[in-house]
Amino acid sequence: MPDTQALVNDFLNKLKKRKIEGSQATAKQTAELLRSVISQTRMPYTNQASALIHSVKAVGERLIAANPVELAVGNVVRRVLHIIREEDLSLTTAAMAGLNLSAESDDEDDTDRDNHPALSAAAIAAASRSTLRPPSLQTLLEDVPDSAAVPHTSSSGGDSEGKSKSADKSSRSRKLKHDVIEAVNELIQDISTCRELIAEQAVEHIHQNEVILTLGSSRTVLEFLCAAKEKKRSFRVFVAEGAPRYQGHLLAKELVTRGLQTTLITDSAVFAMISRVNMVIVGAHAVMANGGVIAPVGLNMVALAAQKHAVPFVVLAGSHKLCPLYPHHPEVLLNELRSPSELLDFGEFSDCLDFGSGIGAPLLHVVNPTFDYVPPKLRRA
Amino acid sequence: MNRVGLQYLAGDLSGGNARCIAMLQAFQEAIRDYSTPPEKTLTRDLTSKIGGFVSFLIECRPLSMSMGNAIRFLKSRIARLPLTLSESEAKTTLCSDIDRFINEKIVLADKVILRHAATKIRDGDVLLTYGSSCVVEMILLYAHELGKQFRVVVVDSHPMLEGQKLLRRLVVKGLSCTYTQLNAISYVMHKVTRVFLGASSIFSNGTVYSTVGTASVAMVAHAFRVPVLVCCEAYKFHERVQLDSICFNELGDPDAISKVPGRVDVNYLDNLTDKQKENLELLNLKYDATPSDYISVIVTDYGMIPPTSVPVIVRGYRKEYLLI
Repeated sequence: MPDTQALVNDFLNKLKKRKIEGSQATAKQTAELLRSVISQTRMPYTNQASALIHSVKAVGERLIAANPVELAVGNVVRRVLHIIREEDLSLTTAAMAGLNLSAESDDEDDTDRDNHPALSAAAIAAASRSTLRPPSLQTLLEDVPDSAAVPHTSSSGGDSEGKSKSADKSSRSRKLKHDVIEAVNELIQDISTCRELIAEQAVEHIHQNEVILTLGSSRTVLEFLCAAKEKKRSFRVFVAEGAPRYQGHLLAKELVTRGLQTTLITDSAVFAMISRVNMVIVGAHAVMANGGVIAPVGLNMVALAAQKHAVPFVVLAGSHKLCPLYPHHPEVLLNELRSPSELLDFGEFSDCLDFGSGIGAPLLHVVNPTFDYVPPKLRRA
Repeated sequence: MNRVGLQYLAGDLSGGNARCIAMLQAFQEAIRDYSTPPEKTLTRDLTSKIGGFVSFLIECRPLSMSMGNAIRFLKSRIARLPLTLSESEAKTTLCSDIDRFINEKIVLADKVILRHAATKIRDGDVLLTYGSSCVVEMILLYAHELGKQFRVVVVDSHPMLEGQKLLRRLVVKGLSCTYTQLNAISYVMHKVTRVFLGASSIFSNGTVYSTVGTASVAMVAHAFRVPVLVCCEAYKFHERVQLDSICFNELGDPDAISKVPGRVDVNYLDNLTDKQKENLELLNLKYDATPSDYISVIVTDYGMIPPTSVPVIVRGYRKEYLLI
């Protein structure tokens, strides 16, 4: 446990100080962290799944609170919880099927016959009670811990049966952990390879002699375009620079290194150039449940221009960016303001930063948001 | 004349009105210094001289629409000079005509625009402006002098970063301002009540030809249902029709895109190999065309008109101003 605590605290620090760049890296590290939390959780005899869920939830809440704007963290936590519930459910259905079989195979012995149906019924009842029930209003209001009910019924079955059941359950618990960790490994694998899978679809969307517009820099978009180039499609790319981080310069450099015809334009020229463009392809930070997209700043402007000129606006996002939340006032709540020094030099404008005549409030505010919200109706795919 | 040309080249003089006034004053000087060579008529020779000056200016920097209109005015005045006038009288007439043009069409026009536009500003407004337009700056300062309480959002864009100059001048006068880049415009537009834009020219179909990025501002304002007011003197109207920004535009210095003033960390595009350079183009447009549906009203010295009334002014009042 101390090991995981140290890991968790370390990760929390990194999230708070925004040291981890990119939602893919964040998602991967979150998944790995949760995997170690799961493997270190001590599992009680009964209701292992809810113990796992409890520990994962506790860590997950702290992670989400550290950086509420990084939605990938919450997404990964929810997926791990879902994995736990699924694995548990599949194990209990397997166990119940197993119990039914063992009950039927002993029908030669007359003396046991009367007991068996009762036993199997009790066993099935016990098994189903130990599975996780999805929270219904009744369970929430009762707040009765499930574990108290189960040993009560199992003791009625007699000692031998009790022993076999406990043996059954401990093997079940090991199996549960094992399955969950396997599934989390698969999740990590998915997160790492999401870009390749997206890039494979590039050829279907990009044809010969197309002109593509993008803004800022996204690694997913870069791989998408390069995959199309590999398949010998020739096309041009307009890259808008994406002030104030100017990531478009980086993307343009990457693209020319790989041999693509690129033109670097200013953000202000996007409206002017978009009539000559066939498709707009951008990466996203997160995709919300209503289909709206949280994207780097400036993309709402591009999406509106694309809609006006009937140019398809395509968003590329890995599965770790899909978020089951609905955005409520996303410009403010899901946004972060960065340092104003990216816009204005402090030294040059120091005279303006003097507090205004008598009012005491500064005359000059500088706004530098990180993200933009693109509503679902502006997005084609 | 050389001095003015070099100022254009260096970018010291920018803004339609400033360039136009400087050019006309330079013409005035040239006319005063001019003397007709023997065996030639004043009108023809002077016209060709003016043509020579204009080509020199075009070499320095392509003409803006307003300058084109002013040159046409001057040529028509020269052509209408009665032949009975002596040379010195002709020269003084021309100089006084130029003075009247500057006074009526630019200086007085601006005063009228100020008065009209200030009626549209109420207390508690949040006004957004893009780049640096001298007319909009005058409106904001005038409204502030009248005592109206409002806030200004100055939106700027790379590479010109003209908004910073406007910002400094406004804060010095005591207006409370917010400064941001063009990309953040969807973020600020929620709070904005009015958008004031300047224009380099307005075409007959109501399209506004202005600094690159204005179209994006107007589009986002329209999406958020914020009224857009374009402030432009009538002498800048043009009877051309332009459908998009690509057919007729001015290209700026491409290297200006790769350099970001004041940010040393943004040097991704230094040291490119030859192979990289042959695939990379840098495009620096200076102007763009805003479709008329994004514009609510155009404030001119003839009043506040909808974009559809621009051809009326071009046709109807153009005759009047040529005759003065």
